Amino acid sequence: MSISMSEIKLIKGEFKEKLDLLFAPGVKAGFPSPAEDYLHESLDFNRDLIRHPEATFYGRVAGDSMQDAGICEGDIAVIDRSVEPQDGDVIVGYINGEFTIKFLDLTHRKDGYIELRPANKKYSPIRIDENDSFEVWGVVIWVIKKWK
Amino acid sequence: MFGIVDCDNCYVSCERVFRPDLNGKPVVVLSNNDGCVVARSNEAKAMGIKAGTPYFKLQQQYPDKDIAVFSSNYELYGELTGRVVEIIRQEAPAYLTSSRNCSRSGIKINSDVSRLPAVFRYSIDECFVYFNGNGNDFQFSTLHSSLKEWGENLHKRIKKSVGMPVSIGIAPTKTLAKMASHFAKKYKGYHHCCLIDTDEKRMKALKLYPIDEVWGIGRRYAARLQALGVQTAYDFAQHHESWVRATFNNIVILRTWKELNGIDCVPNEEMARKKSICTSRSFNGMVTDFDTLRTHVSNYAARCAEKLRQQGTVATIVSVFVNTNFFREDLPQYWNFQEKRLTVGTNSTIEIVKAATEVLRDIYIEGYHYKKAGVIVMGISPTSPQQLDLFDYNAEQFQKMQRLDAAIDRLNKVNGSETVVLGSQQYTQKDGKGKANVFANAIRHDHRSKNPTTRWSDIIKLK
Repeated sequence: MSISMSEIKLIKGEFKEKLDLLFAPGVKAGFPSPAEDYLHESLDFNRDLIRHPEATFYGRVAGDSMQDAGICEGDIAVIDRSVEPQDGDVIVGYINGEFTIKFLDLTHRKDGYIELRPANKKYSPIRIDENDSFEVWGVVIWVIKKWK
Repeated sequence: MFGIVDCDNCYVSCERVFRPDLNGKPVVVLSNNDGCVVARSNEAKAMGIKAGTPYFKLQQQYPDKDIAVFSSNYELYGELTGRVVEIIRQEAPAYLTSSRNCSRSGIKINSDVSRLPAVFRYSIDECFVYFNGNGNDFQFSTLHSSLKEWGENLHKRIKKSVGMPVSIGIAPTKTLAKMASHFAKKYKGYHHCCLIDTDEKRMKALKLYPIDEVWGIGRRYAARLQALGVQTAYDFAQHHESWVRATFNNIVILRTWKELNGIDCVPNEEMARKKSICTSRSFNGMVTDFDTLRTHVSNYAARCAEKLRQQGTVATIVSVFVNTNFFREDLPQYWNFQEKRLTVGTNSTIEIVKAATEVLRDIYIEGYHYKKAGVIVMGISPTSPQQLDLFDYNAEQFQKMQRLDAAIDRLNKVNGSETVVLGSQQYTQKDGKGKANVFANAIRHDHRSKNPTTRWSDIIKLK
């Protein structure tokens, strides 16, 4: 008797697993699920946060020019070069032989200049004219902060 | 149709990714050990700096010119070009091939139609892309109106995502594609992509193209062709096939002739395996004693063996060359180049190092100041099947060697290169910790850039 009991338990277990699958997000019942392959995969920052690995670079924040935006010395910025920079984005630019991290302000684009805005009253915005050879090096998509 | 994507001044462009201030300025990259110039920016080329110029001559010739100089940083170049290849893979259309075509190239396919990878990396800075048919029936034709537009967009995406400028050539054969990529590189009007898709365009390109720049025509053959009155690719292509056969009796030349005439015939396998592998370096200073020289040569031989194993090939010829410093006219000069043929092809570190050491023993003469040495392995063929020599071949020994080499490769991959080396690879000067460090430090790289894509300590600083 004890043997058949354990057999029953075993079948139950399998059935439950299949039920779970039916409720997996985005999966239609009765279909050999493509989600099956992902069932056991853990969350993975590399896979889930970085949309364009071939265009993604990392940078370490130095200085306090963005501290009011919560971007502080030692933080790691995840930079995606393939993203088209837009007004208000945090971007990485290259000025006077240095990489800089700032807000991109395109308000005055029609007037022939753009501004790189810091997030700290100690610093003033950097004005860039049409004639300056400046390009946005990449757009910051995440900032990683170490607490401990 | 074939496309080739070629990185413009690859090493220089890699350095510029993290030094945008160097755009528009002369930049050179030096060979291993900072010996001579191996890569030049367009500005450096315009100044008249030739590839191969020794570094010290560069300093003498342009004392007051502001030239940015970098030691070669293959870690960086490998990583960035890997990104370029990845983007090409994403953009390349699915390549479908019928079983007939496959069996010709030696691959057995059961189904009628099969998918093959459409992208083939040819070297660190070149990549081939295969297109089905004549270019009108692509799956992505809804996205791009033509192959030309596809190429222009590919360049834009690579430039934006990685920061690498590329030139793209697309044509009915690989040789013509390579030619097209040169036009794309040379003339801005092509917007980085040159397409040869009609006979008219092909003829025009051939007429403009010097014979000595044709892919697959070596310097020697180019000279012979020029002596026969062939100046351009067009002159060559216009000759009759029988003339080519009779004059050269060489399969590679005949293939090139066919390819210029639009007949695809350079096999993929051939592109993958290079004809020889060379590892050589100029020494940091000069070497007089045999033991130090042997250590250098052993390391170069070991590197060749490693490269062979990576390719899955074996070599039957191991050659070694040495030379003194030709710039030191005050010292006696000597150079030599000898080879040893092996009865059985090998890629075993032990066997190749042993053969190289034997050759070195023959050519080494005491009393000279040696500046450079190198090991070249040739006669390269796939690992199996091999021509077996009944007397020399010992199956048990062979398998043992293979297992040992596999273990060495694994250790060096996990723990960093040169973790495990042969005794003869060790330098006699020791740092107390191990040989590997000493070897790494023996190479000079005074101007090496950081590795912002492979080391956390080197990621860019954002102010």
